[in-house]
Order: sequence, then structure tokens, then C-alpha cells
Amino acid sequence: MDIFKVSASALEAQRIRMNTIASNMANAQTTKTDAGGPYVRKDVVFSPMQVTSNPAEKFEGVKVREVVEDNKPPITIYDPGHPDADENGNVSMPNINVIEEMVNMMMALRAYEANVRSFNMSKGMYQKALELGRQ
Amino acid sequence: MDKGFKILERMVQAADIRQKVIASNIANSDTPGFKAKDVKFNNLFGKEMKLSATNPKHIGAGKAGAISSRTEVEDNLSWEDRNNVELNVEVAKMTENALLHDTAVTILSSKIKMFKNAIRTK
Repeated sequence: MDIFKVSASALEAQRIRMNTIASNMANAQTTKTDAGGPYVRKDVVFSPMQVTSNPAEKFEGVKVREVVEDNKPPITIYDPGHPDADENGNVSMPNINVIEEMVNMMMALRAYEANVRSFNMSKGMYQKALELGRQ
Repeated sequence: MDKGFKILERMVQAADIRQKVIASNIANSDTPGFKAKDVKFNNLFGKEMKLSATNPKHIGAGKAGAISSRTEVEDNLSWEDRNNVELNVEVAKMTENALLHDTAVTILSSKIKMFKNAIRTK
């Protein structure tokens, strides 16, 4: 039943990725964070995860190894009326491209769907095999 | 009993092994550095198809239930994150594999039904 662990781990990983993207989009205009400065874009890094104790079996699940911060510099816009504007009237805005986030979200969605399909297909196979010998 | 059983059993077993590897490829379609793998089976049917060997020293005698396979890395082009999983190809492979598995199970089912009928006939 290790195969279900593979698909489930991928669903979990893609869900975390989706949350990260949602957080980026929600904070696209956030200029002040607890750490100071504008919100910094986050991204997830996946790595393979061992799901079976048998080393002869060559299949792996996936896990989120870490959530990294994007080191792109913030975008500076001129808006003297903004509460976070400096003495020259410039405001540092998060370097988040909403279109880029949408593309990432669609990729995460596709990957999630593919893993749901994979899960259902494996389930179908086992169910079929369980019917063996029944009339 | 019937050699068909052994062959079909191997087919089901092979589909099970391959299913896991394909599921792993799909799960890791966004993992940097991950390479897509596939399983190749050697003489899945060969030994049962040959002359039956009644002594293990006979040439061509296969070990019961043992299937030999090797996992190969696919030579697709890699993306800039060194990942070479082609999601659509993997989903297609999985569909094909599930079909193969279901075919084997269906034939097995009808074989079992045949034997049952033969036993029950009065």
C-alpha cells in the first residue's frame, strides 16, 4: 500500500505550495511586516522522500524540504502620500508579479489533479484485483 | 496447474511494480533534480512459454513467481531545474499500465470461473 503514500505525499506537498502562492498574492501590496520592510515572496522547494523500507524498490514520494524567500529586490514606487513612504516619497513594494503567481498556481493545480488521478487509478487497480474469484 | 495462471500472475505483479514507479514520477514532477524512471521487465513470459522443466537443473527452468526487472532512468530533456518528468507522458503510461493490469485480472477471473464451472458440473 506504499503507492498511496506516494500520491498522498504529493497532494500534501502541492497543497503547501498552493498555500504559499495564496499567501504571496494576498500580500502583494504589503509594505510593512513584523520583520520590517515589505513582504518578501516565498517559494517552496521539493525533494524526494523515501516511503518504503525496502531499498530494492525504486520509487519515492515527495516532501516540501523548505520554504525559501525570493531574494529579488523590492520594487520602489513613487507615492508621497503612502504612510510607508521615505523622505523622498518612495515606497518599497513587495516584488510580487501576480501573473507569475497565477501561472504557478495553475501548475500546482495541474500537478494536484495528476496526483489525484494517479491515486484513483491505483485504487481502481487494487479494487479490481480484490474482485478476483468472486462470481 | 495451468501455466496461464503463472503468466497472468506475473503480469499483475509487473503492473503493480510499474504503477509504483510511475506514481513516484508523477509525485515528483516538480522536484528539482528528479529524473523520471521506468521499469523494464526481462523474460516476463519467456520461461513459462518454453518447455516445462521438471528439474531445476534443466535449461530454461524459471523460479516460480520471481520476475526480474530493472529500473531505468528516462533520457528525456531536462528543464533548468534538472527535472525531466513529462507529466502527460507519465499519465498516459499509467493509463496503459492500469489497462494491462485490468486485462490480466479479467482473464484471471474468467479462468477461475472456468475451473469453478468444471468442478461444479454434475
